[in-house]
Amino acid sequence: MSDDKPSLEVRNLVKHFPIHGGLLQRQTGTVRAVDGVTFSIRRGETLGVVGESGCGKSTVGKTVLKLLEPTAGEILLDGVDVTDFSPGQMWSHRRQIQTVFQDPYSSMNPRMRAGDIVGEPLENFGLARGKAKDEQVASLFQRVGLRPENMRKFTHEFSGGQRQRLGIAKALAVNPEVIVADEPVSALDVSVQAQVLNLLIDLQEEYKLAYLFISHDLGVMRHISHRIAVMYLGRVVELTDKRTLFTRPLHPYTEALLSAAPVPDPARKRARRIILPGDVPSPAKPPSGCHFHTRCPYAIAECKTVDPKLLEVAPGHQVACIRRPVGTDFAPLTPTQ
Amino acid sequence: MSILQVRDLHTQFFTQDGVVRAVDGVSFDLDQGETLAIVGESGCGKSVTAMSILRLIQAETGRIVSGSIKFEGRELTTLTEEQMRGIRGHDISMIFQEPMTSLNPVLTIGTQIAENVVRHLGVSWQEGLNRAQEMLELVKISDAKRRLDEYPHQLSGGMRQRVMIAMALACRPKLLIADEPTTALDVTIQAQILDLMLELKEKIDAAIVMITHDLGVVAETAQRVVVMYAGRKVEEATVGELFAHPMHPYTRGLMRAIPRLDIDAEAEGRRARLQEIPGMVPVLTQPIPGCAFAPRCPFATEKCTAERPPLVENRPGHIAACWHTDRVLEQAA
Ligand SMILES: Nc1ncnc2c1ncn2[C@@H]1O[C@H](COP(=O)(O)OP(=O)(O)OP(=O)(O)O)[C@@H](O)[C@H]1O
Ligand SMILES: Nc1ncnc2c1ncn2[C@@H]1O[C@H](COP(=O)(O)OP(=O)(O)O)[C@@H](O)[C@H]1O
Ligand code: SF4
Ligand code: SF4
Ligand SMILES: [Mg+2]
Ligand SMILES: [Mg+2]
Repeated sequence: MSDDKPSLEVRNLVKHFPIHGGLLQRQTGTVRAVDGVTFSIRRGETLGVVGESGCGKSTVGKTVLKLLEPTAGEILLDGVDVTDFSPGQMWSHRRQIQTVFQDPYSSMNPRMRAGDIVGEPLENFGLARGKAKDEQVASLFQRVGLRPENMRKFTHEFSGGQRQRLGIAKALAVNPEVIVADEPVSALDVSVQAQVLNLLIDLQEEYKLAYLFISHDLGVMRHISHRIAVMYLGRVVELTDKRTLFTRPLHPYTEALLSAAPVPDPARKRARRIILPGDVPSPAKPPSGCHFHTRCPYAIAECKTVDPKLLEVAPGHQVACIRRPVGTDFAPLTPTQ
Repeated sequence: MSILQVRDLHTQFFTQDGVVRAVDGVSFDLDQGETLAIVGESGCGKSVTAMSILRLIQAETGRIVSGSIKFEGRELTTLTEEQMRGIRGHDISMIFQEPMTSLNPVLTIGTQIAENVVRHLGVSWQEGLNRAQEMLELVKISDAKRRLDEYPHQLSGGMRQRVMIAMALACRPKLLIADEPTTALDVTIQAQILDLMLELKEKIDAAIVMITHDLGVVAETAQRVVVMYAGRKVEEATVGELFAHPMHPYTRGLMRAIPRLDIDAEAEGRRARLQEIPGMVPVLTQPIPGCAFAPRCPFATEKCTAERPPLVENRPGHIAACWHTDRVLEQAA
């Protein structure tokens, strides 16, 4: 493991789902859930993926984990191209990349004891068994803030926050490099959410973990991420460090998204709330050209035909918008509608 | 003028695990045309409060055991179901988090809105349909006339929530209870709906009870806030006052636990930790003699676990239920 190679790298990742319909269940269309996504994550770094429901966040996560076969593109784990690995080949690399879900309950066997759930991967990967395993599980429990006595309990006896801690302990058990966390705190109340976010941050610093952190919550994003990728209809429209993203967003969608989120401060006068018209179009029928042109306040005629590429328009700042070309200044755009 | 008065409301459910004290002595007033937010974490009794006002608690599982709910001076807790039906959807309407639970999947949008209008206002079917179309236009559903003939499943989540609002407002209610109306929606759609609600409020002049777990939504929509914890009101103030001078340790904890999108928490480069509230919310099947927040509260003393703190007005118009507000306020300075 070296520091120059990214822990996880994804190039032009595409995942399409066929839509079947009619009597014969013939393929009648394609959901372009992920439509050419590129990013990389270094050790100890969190890349946040944010966007509205259906924009493809979870599909990116599942494809990177190879729970879904990519339609095209490349996935590199610690420099090794695992895109075409068979499940058998993937097995040895599986340890390196683990996952934490939104609802750990649904992914845990209700008839297994908590200690066995966390210890299972240790056994599966032949890392520890018997007493050694129990000791390791106990220390994992402690590390995530659960009392080792709780190892004998069943998952339904835990609260939402505790179950999420269990999920984190299970992911940590095999000492991974990368953790894909898909909305890991979305089901939790604010007071418990803070506990879990702090735990994730501590663990990252301790083990130099790389996080692919998926969330629709912009507050959580700003807190946990180092860099953030904003997705819209299967594509990354902007990717940069979080401070730049929150203070000087360049993509019109990012700008609207940030302005739309309610802020818990009645004294703060918002500069200008951008209310986007209409709904997010279906990824089965994305608009031509720039996917955002049907809702974009700054759209010009070319936006309907030109497919904007994600370009590094300023150092470390990638944007996919024809009105934000390379070398753009950060001046506001003039609305066209 | 006060339009709704809730006094010492207790609503309980009778379950295998025991009596759930879902609402445990809650009081508040709502003025005409005012928006009051009820905020708190899941399970603190927000929805049960709303359901109690509308008398929608299922008799097989639970009931209002004591307290009073007066709407325009009229006691609701003793009305018959028949009388309540004349009020629901007419003088008082409700918007739910999940519109599909209250829209009928087999009836067209137009039929559903018109039916309610005809029932309550006694107008003709055609007039009911006309009103339905007017309402859809009011909530900015494009092509309203065509939409009248569509079914709920043909609409997006945001559109369904608009239909719910259209339906709730069709009979010009005096009170609108919105239970997490935007929680299930995406941020940009949430912005559309909140914007719409604020705009319509001006037009219709209804009082609103806005139930939410999101302090951002509170800050942007309400004039006054009630903070609930474990079935009880722990703090109440105007929105400006509450955010500027939160007084109850729970409210303060909540405010500090939120990761903020408008604040750069780590000007020094290192990632800042969020302030945690240790532990978790109590189970409501055990009677809590003292302050329900005591097991998680950094200010707690023996008195807190023994005696329930009364609601005290510590600043003008700002009440909190805490024995130690002096110490709490000192710490902030
Ligand atoms: N197995 C599947 N078969 C067909 N379509 C799918 C499948 N999984 C996802 N999709 C579609 O792909 C698109 C992206 O879905 P995805 O779950 O990645 O969204 P998301 O960004 O995670 O949304 P959310 O915020 O709601 O979790 C959606 O239109 C979804 O309906
Ligand atoms: N039908 C029911 N039977 C038993 N308990 C219930 C029922 N409905 C609500 N409760 C309980 O009442 C409490 C308050 O619930 P609710 O008002 O729905 O909370 P919220 O503040 O999230 O809206 C919770 O503990 C909940 O589990
Ligand atoms: S390319 Fe055009 S439509 Fe797309 S974001 Fe830029 S201005 Fe808007
Ligand atoms: S009464 Fe005591 S336990 Fe309750 S909030 Fe105040 S200080 Fe904390
Ligand atoms: Mg998802
Ligand atoms: Mg509720």
